[in-house]
Amino acid sequence: MRFLTSTFLLTIRALRESIRQPANEIGNAFIPIFFYAVTIGAVGGVAAEAFGVEDYKGFQLPVALLQGAAGVAGGAGIALTQDIQSGYFEKLMLTSTPRFALVFGRMVADAVKALILSVVVLAMALLVGSGFATGVVGMVVLLLASGAFALAYSGIGVAIALKTGSPQAAQAGFLIFFPLLFLAPTFAPIEVFQPWLEFIARLNPVTYLLEGMRALVITGWDWDALVKGAAAIVGIAVVTFTLTAASLRGRTSG
Amino acid sequence: MAAIVATNLVKHFSPDIRAVDGIDLDIPDGQVFGFLGQNGSGKTTTVRMLTTLLRPTSGSAHVGGIDVLSDPDRVREVVGVAMQDVGLDDIQTGREQLTLQARLFGISAAETRRRVEQLLDVVTLADAADRLVSGYSGGMKRRLDLACALIHQPRIIFLDEPTTGLDPVTREEVWRYVERLNREGVTFFLTTQYLEEADRLCHDIAIMDRGKIVAKGSPADLKSSIGTDRITLAFASAEETLQANDLLRGFDGVSDTAVTENEVAVYIRNGAAAVPGVVLALADAGLSVGELRLAQATLDDVFLRATGHHLQVDRKAETPAAGGAS
Repeated sequence: MRFLTSTFLLTIRALRESIRQPANEIGNAFIPIFFYAVTIGAVGGVAAEAFGVEDYKGFQLPVALLQGAAGVAGGAGIALTQDIQSGYFEKLMLTSTPRFALVFGRMVADAVKALILSVVVLAMALLVGSGFATGVVGMVVLLLASGAFALAYSGIGVAIALKTGSPQAAQAGFLIFFPLLFLAPTFAPIEVFQPWLEFIARLNPVTYLLEGMRALVITGWDWDALVKGAAAIVGIAVVTFTLTAASLRGRTSG
Repeated sequence: MAAIVATNLVKHFSPDIRAVDGIDLDIPDGQVFGFLGQNGSGKTTTVRMLTTLLRPTSGSAHVGGIDVLSDPDRVREVVGVAMQDVGLDDIQTGREQLTLQARLFGISAAETRRRVEQLLDVVTLADAADRLVSGYSGGMKRRLDLACALIHQPRIIFLDEPTTGLDPVTREEVWRYVERLNREGVTFFLTTQYLEEADRLCHDIAIMDRGKIVAKGSPADLKSSIGTDRITLAFASAEETLQANDLLRGFDGVSDTAVTENEVAVYIRNGAAAVPGVVLALADAGLSVGELRLAQATLDDVFLRATGHHLQVDRKAETPAAGGAS
């Protein structure tokens, strides 16, 4: 109970911080919308003929959502380094609250921000003509998946921030996402990949995440794809939360 | 009951860096205990270990009767800590910061509101409570930091150089507040570079040098241990100074001497009565005294004898920008 209360309080604090410093959030919103527009403009016209994707606006929607979520999720680590450098994190560490809550509050705030950004991106995609196979319920699931991915992924930046205290290093947490994204069926279905790239993509959790989210947008309730997508998020969360917990313990061992 | 007990407490950051090298502490409840030492002597590392921010390399410590190693969460419930560098969030208001701190200690929302109002009055920040901390002066930040350390009404408060960088008026305010809380029964563990701070506030002090405690006791006992008075004699040359030191070391009633540049400090009981004899003895030896000063021994004298050097205060921190009593 104490963990949940503290997480809630620190989530509110992090969200208030974003409201008071909106510039970061504007940047986070710009990147996925820009790439969505550019990719649709460049590839959308030939997608059906080139690799059989009729609704390329829908095909690219999960990419934009994940890009936005990853960008937002990088914020927790960077903000945490500011708390560490100012000494405020130490003040929080001196309270009797469960220590994981001290970082989890920021991570949940990132998930909330990613959810809000995802609503904007989804609305924009629908406005420009993206289809949506699973209706309103599917949209809710898609938005929740986006938020859950942000929560899981924010652990990387947080773990790096706790370990190094360096904003530059924490920023690298976001950059890790780019190779993962480009080694997944981001621009074209996996079926058209060269065998070597398909092999790598099959090992990449982002592939399953994209395919699960795309099922909601394009195909319908494909439970196999959805379960694999959910498992990918859980897998990322297990790894990043474990790293975060280890880094948190490391901060007091000196 | 003892508020703080440490036994052979050690912190090594690498085999070569022995920040704290086996210290023992036994501080009773209700005391203001001063930890005196220069930058890098191990004071802050000791505070960080006792407040669960840093795990000791070896040894044991109990704070408020609770083991810092096996039950750190409970230790944090009974201690309040204000570190040397105020750790505040510039993007929150003073009220938000105090409120969050209280809630993270598990204090109810209603009780938090009551305590926040009360503390804002005490630290005279009520008028600035709803302004962002980024607009606070150095003095205001220090007072807010202190309020954060007090919000959960701890029995034991650690203040790591609480007045470094503060102007004299704000420093006096902090001292008065420490005295007031101590009268109400709160135990203080205070690290400082300021001898007058230790002299005024502390019941007992320990002098820390290179990770070890080199002297411990009440300020009065420590001063009397080296003689009640100090006669300082200045000479024209280093050679004369050393000769005078050799002569006076064996003088009747002298408990110790110390040489710095062209001066000899002689620690002696009943210094006023001893002055004529000292001057005559020097004159008989052909040594001419350039200047003579008589004063009571100070903690600086104790520090000099315990460590072999004067306490060098880091004055860099004392800039007007960091001070602001507003």
